[in-house]
Amino acid sequence: MTAGRRWIRRAGAAIFALALLYPFSAVFAHIGPWQWTPDVRGPALASIRISLLLTGLAMLIIVALGTPVAAYIAGCRRRERLIWQGVLLVPILLPPLALGILMSLAFGPNGSVGAWLQNYGVVMTNSATAFVLTQVYVGMGYYVLGAVAALDSVPASLQKQAALLGLTPRQVFFRVTLPLSQLGLGVALSLAWVRAIGEFGAVVVTAYYPAGMPVQLWVNLETFGLPAVMPLLMVFLAVALPIPWLVHVLAQRSRHA
Amino acid sequence: MCWHSVHAMLKAEIIKKRRELEIHVALQLGRGESVGLFGASGAGKSTVLACIAGIEEPDDGFVQIGGLKLFPPSLPLHRRPLGYLTQEPGLFPHLSVSKNVSFGIAPASQAEWIATLRERLQLDTIWNAPAALISGGQARRVSLARMLARKPPLVLLDEPFAGLDRQLVRELIDDLVFWSREVGFSMIAVDHQAEVLQRLCPQRAIVLEQGKIVQQGTWEELDRAPSTPLLRSLLAPL
Repeated sequence: MTAGRRWIRRAGAAIFALALLYPFSAVFAHIGPWQWTPDVRGPALASIRISLLLTGLAMLIIVALGTPVAAYIAGCRRRERLIWQGVLLVPILLPPLALGILMSLAFGPNGSVGAWLQNYGVVMTNSATAFVLTQVYVGMGYYVLGAVAALDSVPASLQKQAALLGLTPRQVFFRVTLPLSQLGLGVALSLAWVRAIGEFGAVVVTAYYPAGMPVQLWVNLETFGLPAVMPLLMVFLAVALPIPWLVHVLAQRSRHA
Repeated sequence: MCWHSVHAMLKAEIIKKRRELEIHVALQLGRGESVGLFGASGAGKSTVLACIAGIEEPDDGFVQIGGLKLFPPSLPLHRRPLGYLTQEPGLFPHLSVSKNVSFGIAPASQAEWIATLRERLQLDTIWNAPAALISGGQARRVSLARMLARKPPLVLLDEPFAGLDRQLVRELIDDLVFWSREVGFSMIAVDHQAEVLQRLCPQRAIVLEQGKIVQQGTWEELDRAPSTPLLRSLLAPL
């Protein structure tokens, strides 16, 4: 390929990238001064705290439950693996609003599990528990499917070699499989994080209260208009994007190293 | 020393069907004895080794090392008292060379032994290097050291020198023969090059064709009276 043609292609790619990033130019849109009055600030700060804390908790649950499941699926034969992967795809493919409605019915006072939990004082609608549970449902499929791919990328020959060197299956997992798949697991977790922290459709049904950042953004937009949305939107972008973005870049770099 | 007179350390009968090939091989190996499994590509040599190692499971038969039953039922890999070396060094890329060598053992308890391996296998210059960054030849030395570090009573070698230059092959073979005497392990080696096996396992060879043993004995016996035309052609100089 000639240098001239390469530059034309590069320019085409640059235009494509600019078009993708174009929505970010809205940060400089003329909407008047951003509003950060106490009536906006208080709920906004609370929503940041709620989102970070409860999404963090949801991620802990996702990793704790999802990693062993992913390890099991990664060790399954093809047919069984397809079944599990099919199940995990369901919450991913379900429209978020539909998932939220189904969850509020299943875990609400009219659902069998919801009614049972309510007997023990666990409220499954408009509560922190509902918020975390929804995020777990929303993010679990992304994490487990990504984790299976990450675990798959570790050569089976290395795991067998480690076992032949005297390591139990558990030791092989922690000393060989996990270290060699950690970047892939990080990518999987970052996808789950982005999906969960940005979730609106399902959370707005199951946990309108306590309001996380997406719901609070909606409330601010409806109540005060765009100027009250922008400060919280900046925080939202700052916490949702950089870490997953960095993990993906690192993963790509290591893949091409 | 006649291998029949030695107390058997490995007894195995491997029956395994692979596509069109039905492998049926019975083996017996004495303590400290070495045997070369020889034959053309696709004769089933590597499968026999993989079945003994536990990487593959035989369809039928049995495998026993000393008094320990490896199959059936299949004994977990981590409880098999053997070392397995293939043409893929299989080093753990996230660990240093030293961590690879002492993988699975307590380095403190084996410090002297590991130091001996390090010196003899010329690993000094790369000892602290990440395993992912060393050359292919160095990786073979490291994987050999790692296998020997555990002092396994039985060593299985599946073409571990493929693709290496002759000088390095000679050095590694000499090292293996040296350590087999020092440690006293038994050894089964697979290769399609007769000269490699003759140097590595000079006492005895077993010839496989189409998954069956067609001849066994000393290399001289094989040279003098090869039992099949294929064996004659495999042993003939280029």
